[in-house]
Amino acid sequence: MPAVNYKIAFVHLTFKIKQTMVAMLGVVFGISMYVFMNSFMAGINDLQTTLAFANTAHIRVYNDQPPDHTNIAERALKGYPVVLVRDSRVIKYTEGIKSPAPIISWLLNQPEVAGVEPQVNSSVFFRNGGNKVNGNLCGIDVENENKLFKIARFMTEGRWNDLKFRPEGIIMGSILAEALSVHIGDNVNLLTNDGISKNYKVVGIFETGERDIDKTKAYVNINAARQLQGKNQDYVTDLQVNIQHYKETGPLISRLAPVIPFKVESWQEANEGMLSASKLRDIIAMAVSLTILMVAGFGIFNIMNITINEKIKEIAILKAMGFSGGDVTVIFLFQALVIGLSGGLLGLLFGYTVCLLVGLIPFKLDGKEHLPFTYHFADFYSAFLFGLVITLFAGYLPARKASKIDPVTIIRG
Amino acid sequence: MKNETVLKANHIMKSFLLPDSFQVLKNISFEVKSGEFLCLTGKSGSGKSTLLYVLSTMDTAYQGELYLKGELLTGRTLNQLAAFRNEHIGFVFQFHYLLPEFSVLDNIMLPALKLNKFSRQEIEEKAYRQLTLLGMQEQALKSAGRLSGGQQQRVAIARALINDPAIIMGDEPTGNLDSKNTAIVFDIFKELSQSNGQTIIAVTHDNDFAKKSDRVIEMNDGQILF
Repeated sequence: MPAVNYKIAFVHLTFKIKQTMVAMLGVVFGISMYVFMNSFMAGINDLQTTLAFANTAHIRVYNDQPPDHTNIAERALKGYPVVLVRDSRVIKYTEGIKSPAPIISWLLNQPEVAGVEPQVNSSVFFRNGGNKVNGNLCGIDVENENKLFKIARFMTEGRWNDLKFRPEGIIMGSILAEALSVHIGDNVNLLTNDGISKNYKVVGIFETGERDIDKTKAYVNINAARQLQGKNQDYVTDLQVNIQHYKETGPLISRLAPVIPFKVESWQEANEGMLSASKLRDIIAMAVSLTILMVAGFGIFNIMNITINEKIKEIAILKAMGFSGGDVTVIFLFQALVIGLSGGLLGLLFGYTVCLLVGLIPFKLDGKEHLPFTYHFADFYSAFLFGLVITLFAGYLPARKASKIDPVTIIRG
Repeated sequence: MKNETVLKANHIMKSFLLPDSFQVLKNISFEVKSGEFLCLTGKSGSGKSTLLYVLSTMDTAYQGELYLKGELLTGRTLNQLAAFRNEHIGFVFQFHYLLPEFSVLDNIMLPALKLNKFSRQEIEEKAYRQLTLLGMQEQALKSAGRLSGGQQQRVAIARALINDPAIIMGDEPTGNLDSKNTAIVFDIFKELSQSNGQTIIAVTHDNDFAKKSDRVIEMNDGQILF
């Protein structure tokens, strides 16, 4: 292909610069919307994940309900005409995780494990005078808990680390504290399922922003929790495990689950609703931005069609002078390519700028000050690619039409 | 070069099917030698323009055979024909059809740039020579849309000549010009056929123009009268 085709394309582009700009702006707008939508959705998804991981570890190991063995007699006495077991019961032989130490040390030896924390969780009544509120007591390893969940950032009063040295201390959710009308320094009485009651002193208040947590949760030192439950120094109900890449829970679970008799649950399993919500958001973002790109594509298609109709005589003359259909296609496709490339690059820049500007809008949640944005190279890359493909396609149809112009019909009129 | 057969039409026939079935060219055969200045005349609807476009290779819907420079062009692909036109045929139309976004010089250079046989430098020099020959060197850098009709037609001729084509075809090349400019165009054509041995085939209504040329083919009802 001789360079003269590009020269003609360039002259066409620059001669009606306004028209070129309009076509380009369509692409700029489409691509910047794509970048904006996807970065915003990624930001929201990341924020949600962070929020979810404020209470949930990547993997949780716990002692689930034992399997239902109430029909054991029926199975053993198969063939007998009548088997009747009255008032059958499920008996849980072990509570919590039996001998957690080897499991913990095994976990710590796995390369992808970032942290392991044993917890003693139970359901208790919080009492203060006449107020009686049901809630969850979480016995935790103070330092490890903060390492895994960064709980200290949610503290509104008191210091997280105080719990380490205060076996009688308790840190409560803000709504729970309000419901009990207790403040820092006040006493609160706890009543367990087994009827044991003990007093604790409020040393801190936290607020995660998630209502269900703030309304029901309280933390004590893990040893204090064991004492309250009347358990030994090894007693653990949950193992919370964090790994390096939170999405890759599969391999660890497939190695761990078969060898221990406990339930091993990934965060994905525990938060299926959240995952599908974020997938839906991704789909919406994709649909909206692709629609915008399509509209931009139609804009280019229109403008190219108008240009070709205006230049139909010139195209006929070019063909009379010996330009082939391929040359004419190249001339117009090259214009689409230039519009797509420059519009794409500008769109990426503009989209990023819009993200930065919208990211300045104040939005307080979970220690965030502004609307969340997460930038993925893949979003920018695919925005550019989609933009280019759509422009080329939108340019190709009119270009092909131009290449098929019959010079005789046009020149003879 | 002189007196070789440049163009040979063999039993050319062409029909229009729409709006009604109508045979516009009826079994036309003739030859044109190099250096001939040929005019095709006839009444409107006699088929002279249709014949010209068949000879120009742009119209491929005909029966019969067309030889240009000894090569059979009937049945070639559109791209092959385009390449042949580019190198061997120059066109001058009634309406000059310059590309208005380009300068005069660029307009002239386009077919040569497409041919891509010479460097840009050489093509530019040649385009300047053509312009000087036609007395247009001062207009070289002007936009093509800003010239008068006669000037534009001279630029169109310069464009037709840039690749030194063997045949120059004109569809009413003077149809839109006054008598002074018509005379200029005629002189240019005469000069090209006599000095350069280039063949001129022009469709014209202008009987004076036709009479002064080397040979006239008059057509009527799709047939050659004489």
